[in-house]
Amino acid sequence: MKKKMVMIAVVAALGAGASFQAAAQAKPEQLVKQRQSAMVLIGWYFGPIGAMMRGDRPFDAAVVARNAGYLEVLSKLPAEGFQPSTKDEKTKAKPEVWSDKAKFDKAMENMQGEIGKLAQVAKGGDMGAIKTQFGATGKSCAACHDDFRMK
Amino acid sequence: MSEPTRAVKVWDLPVRLFHWLLVALFLFSLLSGKMKGNWMEWHMYSGFAILALVIFRILWGFAGSTHARFSSFLAGPGACLRFAKRLLSKAPAYVAGHNPIGGWMVIILLLSLLLQAGTGLFANDDISIEGPLYKFVSKEMSDRLTAIHYYNFNVMVFFVFTHVAAVVFHVFVKKENLVSAMFTGTRNLDAATEVPAARFASSWLALILFALALVAVYLVVKRPF
Ligand code: HEC
Ligand code: HEM
Repeated sequence: MKKKMVMIAVVAALGAGASFQAAAQAKPEQLVKQRQSAMVLIGWYFGPIGAMMRGDRPFDAAVVARNAGYLEVLSKLPAEGFQPSTKDEKTKAKPEVWSDKAKFDKAMENMQGEIGKLAQVAKGGDMGAIKTQFGATGKSCAACHDDFRMK
Repeated sequence: MSEPTRAVKVWDLPVRLFHWLLVALFLFSLLSGKMKGNWMEWHMYSGFAILALVIFRILWGFAGSTHARFSSFLAGPGACLRFAKRLLSKAPAYVAGHNPIGGWMVIILLLSLLLQAGTGLFANDDISIEGPLYKFVSKEMSDRLTAIHYYNFNVMVFFVFTHVAAVVFHVFVKKENLVSAMFTGTRNLDAATEVPAARFASSWLALILFALALVAVYLVVKRPF
C-alpha cells in the first residue's frame, strides 16, 4: 500500500519532469491524449468515493484513502495537456480555455486544492467529513466543466 | 363590461396539489442541479418525484375531474385563433377550465417535463453521479441524453416563463383571478360565460393513481427484481 503510493509519486514526479520538456515539442494530438487520459483517471478514482458516500457501495475507508492519495497526484497532471497548440483539435475543450486562461488556471488550482483537502480528510476515515469534502470537490470539477467543457 | 359575478369551482384538489408541488420541485431541481456536489443526490430524488407527478397528471387527464381531462381542454387551431382574438380585444375572455391556448401549454409543459426527467434517468456528469438507467446505454448515448437534459432545461425555462407571463396578463389585463383559483379551486366568471356541467372525481381515486405512479417510478429506478 505505502510502497504503491511512493511508486506512483515517483513515477508521476519523473513523468512531470520529463514531460515538461517534452510538452514543448509534443504533437497536439498527444497533448489531447495526455489531458483526456488524466481526466479519465481522475474520474475513475473519484467516482467510487461518491458511490460510497451515497450508500450505493459499502463504505471502505481504506479504499477512499487510497483513491484520494492517487487523486492528489492525478489532479496535477491534466493542466499540462491544455496547450495553445491544441486549439484546433476536435475535443470537448471550449475555446475559452485559451481566451480566458487566467480563469481556467484558477479553476484548475481550485480543484487541486479541494483534492488536497479530500486526501487529508480521507486519512481521518470519518465518513461525514469525507462526504462534505467530497461534495466541495465535486463542485470544483463541475465549475470548470460548466465554463470550459462542451456538453 | 360584464363583471365576474359568479364563483365557479373548476380545479379539484389533486390538480391544485399537483400544480404547487410541481412548482416547488421544479425550483428545487433547478437549484440542486446548478449547485452540483452532494446536491446532485437530492436532484435525482426530486426528479423521480417530478416523474411520478407527471405520470399521475397524465392518468388524471384521462380519469380525473372534467376540467382536468385532456378531452375537455384540447382544442383545434380554429378555436385557438378565435380565443387569441378575443384575448387581444377589449372583450372579457373568461373560460371555465383551461382556455384553448392554455390547454396546449399544459401539454407542452408535461411533455417537456417528461423529456427532462426521462433523459435524467440516463444522464451522467462525468464526475460522480449517474442516473439509475445509465448502465443500460452506451457512454456516448448517455452523453447525448445528458446534453438533451441540459438544453431541454433551457427550453423548459422558456415555456415556464411564457406560462407565467400569460398568467400575469390574465390577472392584470383581463382581471381574472387565475392565481387564487389555483389555491382555492374557484374562479370568478361573468354571467355570459358558458359553464359546462362539471363532474368532480374522488380525491381517493387521485391518491390511488398517484400511488400507482410512485410504484411505477420506484420499479424503474430501483428495479428490485
Ligand atoms: C480547470 C478545468 C477542469 C477541472 C477543474 C476539471 N476538469 Fe474534467 N475536463 C475539463 C475539460 C476541458 C475536459 C474536456 C477535455 C477534452 O475533451 O480534451 C474535461 C474532461 C473530463 C472527463 C472526460 C474525459 C474523456 O475524454 O473521456 C472526465 C471524466 C473529467 N473531466 C472528470 C473530472 C473530474 C472528476 C474532475 C474533478 C475532480 C474534473 N474533471 C475537473 C476540465 C476540467
Ligand atoms: C429523473 C430524474 C433526474 C435525474 C436522474 C437527473 C440527473 C441529472 C444529472 C446527472 C445532471 C448532471 C448533468 C451535468 O452536469 O452534465 C443533471 C443536471 C441538471 N438537471 Fe437533472 N435529472 C433529473 C430530473 C430533472 C428535472 C425534472 C429537472 C428540472 C426541472 C432537471 C434539471 C436539471 C438542471 C437545471 C441541471 C443542471 C444543468 C447545468 O446547468 O449544468 N433535472 N440532472
